[in-house]
Amino acid sequence: MKAGKTRLQKKTVPTEIHGDASTPDGIEPTESIENIEADMVVMEKVSFAYDGQCADIHNVSLSIGRGEWVTLAGANGSGKSTLIRLMNGLLRAGSGSITIGGTKLEPGAIGGIRQKVGMVFQNPDNQFIGATVEEDMAFGLEGLCLDAEEMRSRISRYASSLGISDLLHRHPQELSGGQKQRAAVAAILAMEPELIILDEASSMLDEMARRDWLSLLREMHSEGRYTLLSITHDAEEIAASERVLVMHEGKLAADLMPGELFRSEELLRMCRMVPPFRTQLALELEKRGIRPADAGLGSGTVNMDLEDERIWPFSWNM
Amino acid sequence: MAIQLEHVSYTYDARSLLRQTALQDVNLELAEGLLTGIAGSSGSGKSTLLQLLNGILLPTEGAVRVLDMTLAAGKKPPKLAPLRRRVGLVFQFPEQQLFAETLEKDLMFGPVNFGAAPEDAAARARKALKQMGLSEGLLSRHPLQLSGGQRRKAAIASVLAMDPDILVLDEPGATLDQISRMELTSLLHYLCREEGKTIIVVTHHIDELLPYADRWVIMHEGRAVFHGTRRGLVDEAERLPGCGLSIPQPIRCWRELEAAYGLQAEEPCLSPSALADRMVRLASAAAGKERVYA
Amino acid sequence: MHEKLLIGRLIDTGSPVHRLDPRAKLTAMLLYAVMVVCARSWLALLCLMVFSVLMMALTRIPVRTYLKAAKPLRFLMLFILIVQCFAVKGGSVLVAVGSWHLDSAGLEAGAIAALRMVLLVSFTALLTFTTSPGQLNQGLEGMLKPLEWTGIPAERLSLMTGIALRFIPAILDEAQTILKAQASRGADLRELPWKEKARMLTALLVPVTVGAFRRAEDLTASMESRGYRIGAPRTRYRPLVWGQGESWFVAAFVLMCLVIVWIGFY
Repeated sequence: MKAGKTRLQKKTVPTEIHGDASTPDGIEPTESIENIEADMVVMEKVSFAYDGQCADIHNVSLSIGRGEWVTLAGANGSGKSTLIRLMNGLLRAGSGSITIGGTKLEPGAIGGIRQKVGMVFQNPDNQFIGATVEEDMAFGLEGLCLDAEEMRSRISRYASSLGISDLLHRHPQELSGGQKQRAAVAAILAMEPELIILDEASSMLDEMARRDWLSLLREMHSEGRYTLLSITHDAEEIAASERVLVMHEGKLAADLMPGELFRSEELLRMCRMVPPFRTQLALELEKRGIRPADAGLGSGTVNMDLEDERIWPFSWNM
Repeated sequence: MAIQLEHVSYTYDARSLLRQTALQDVNLELAEGLLTGIAGSSGSGKSTLLQLLNGILLPTEGAVRVLDMTLAAGKKPPKLAPLRRRVGLVFQFPEQQLFAETLEKDLMFGPVNFGAAPEDAAARARKALKQMGLSEGLLSRHPLQLSGGQRRKAAIASVLAMDPDILVLDEPGATLDQISRMELTSLLHYLCREEGKTIIVVTHHIDELLPYADRWVIMHEGRAVFHGTRRGLVDEAERLPGCGLSIPQPIRCWRELEAAYGLQAEEPCLSPSALADRMVRLASAAAGKERVYA
Repeated sequence: MHEKLLIGRLIDTGSPVHRLDPRAKLTAMLLYAVMVVCARSWLALLCLMVFSVLMMALTRIPVRTYLKAAKPLRFLMLFILIVQCFAVKGGSVLVAVGSWHLDSAGLEAGAIAALRMVLLVSFTALLTFTTSPGQLNQGLEGMLKPLEWTGIPAERLSLMTGIALRFIPAILDEAQTILKAQASRGADLRELPWKEKARMLTALLVPVTVGAFRRAEDLTASMESRGYRIGAPRTRYRPLVWGQGESWFVAAFVLMCLVIVWIGFY
């Protein structure tokens, strides 16, 4: 518990090392040891050989600062899922080193690292261990050997902060997809991790639930306690994050800002994505020789807030 | 009329403690040869609606008329096999329902069940595979050897192989990446336009289907709260948030444009290229006007 | 959506029985099974029925619901009734057709056997109606724990049952979807001849097994990433507490058990 608190304070130190990183490998050669300590995830020359199920990883080096919100993009089979499963020891790297929150990933350290890393998976049904939301939240806490009093207080605290207090006694089959994913996040957050990895966690949600999900991620991010690493195909979710790592055939193909990704046709094709509608429209207009006002595209961030009723791109000068 | 629903209700476990009304007094007429999109939040009754269309579920109230057959509540249904051959239903995650040891056997399963000769069934399997844009080389593979996107398409092909007149799909693009989803949508559009199939598809990505769908049905809490054309959907878009859906970007963009230029009577342009074309025309018209004034 | 699966579903009425330690309820069920085995006369069965209804009333769940839990087994009960009618001879002849005759003793034995079955199945539903699968499992583990020295892996067993309880409904749902999909492709189980039915059900095994493996993999990842290791120390969110209520509850069953055995002797 104490160690956790000091870690929390450490996090408030600004560590935005990679906010502007756009080099393909994302590793600054001159990083001081201090900075490496402060980084949440450091992977150096990590490789993983195909095991019949998970894709190869070739020599991937990257680092993710504390408090960052990073998207991991790429086509299916590009190695995204393998990469994140290497981070908490669900898979074991063939070579290279992985450091999570200053702790090197070694067989003996896996228990400690899994405490720091919370993972939410794609299928809301299959990650539910308990028979009710409450029991599911308790499952992870029991493993942390907390006493019953502490468990109860954490469960009620995190359930209420995620707005699922009413659902605590429900069976997973009585919940909607969005509610299930919220419950999964609550179960993870109750364990008070520092790094939260989302493995296509929103892909099975319907539209409304996806919007809820996005605002949940925004909230978690603004709280500043968590480093978010999310695998997603959802353009809005990507646009809301701060940085995108693009995987391609087991290698890190790019490390850039979301806005830059949406402007690179090549990278988008690599990720099997199309730009958001307004960006597509702007591109189509450009093709026809009309340059809309620089708003939106020039700044590098594509504004995709649905509530945003800006009239761009209709405000161009005719 | 390919499909007609009259006062249809459906209640699960009607006689038990766990009774749940999934559909309530639904009235719909879906015309032949059109692509109809169905949207609604989860639990709005979309999946139940689809299962009524080929007699997997029978209405607990009202009547479902599909092609020349009628399934009415409380009446003994006619033989369902002919209906099921003509109405192909693709469930969610259909790749999880493949079961044969080779793709070819799986594709032939439907046609053989409906009485096709083996050679004929094999030919249909091939055709269906091609219609879904997959190569014949995959026929001898085990379904589990295909990639996720391929498996999805193959599973749709397994229904298509029955050569149904009506193809009904429940979220065919779920969990696929965007490009695969769009490929799938354009394949469905092709089947509708070029092969004259009636296509009914449930989607969570209204924006991606908007340029293709001729008709829309919006479901909410077991009722069909909207049924109409694209134009109608654009006009009534404010109702979407009340049904747990957000207004799709293309509709937002078009409505900004039509409000600015008074295009309310026009067929909306809802794909980026169509919208850009329309805007270019508006711009040149404006420029032309300016020239006149000058 | 599963009437068939009414057994195995928690019905939370917040009654005192719901709050009991699952070990007490498990013990009570074992005792109840003993009673059913020992109750061989109408008097014993009558006593048992009164006792059962009283206990059911304590749970505040209608008796009708309990009976529904036994409904899926009605054919088995009918079968038992018929077999007993054929097998047991004696008493007066009720119906005679040629050399075959139905005797009163046979009918009585059949009726008693079927009634015992109804009692057993509907009453044991009390356990699942009032106890969440998780608690049930914890109770089971708690009861097996003292036997660990004999080599019974209590933790593994309870983990296994827990996961099975959690996933069986989901897997049945999936099987149903696959059946519907096959029906849509012209193989309706309801319309097929028996031989074809068997073939279809085996065809069902492949996708269902694949699905179960997929789930198992996801679940393992979810458990492992939440730090689960078998044998690692864990605390309990709801530690099992045996209080006075539990003792009284079990005592009632022990007493009833003695009554039934006593009736059996006279």
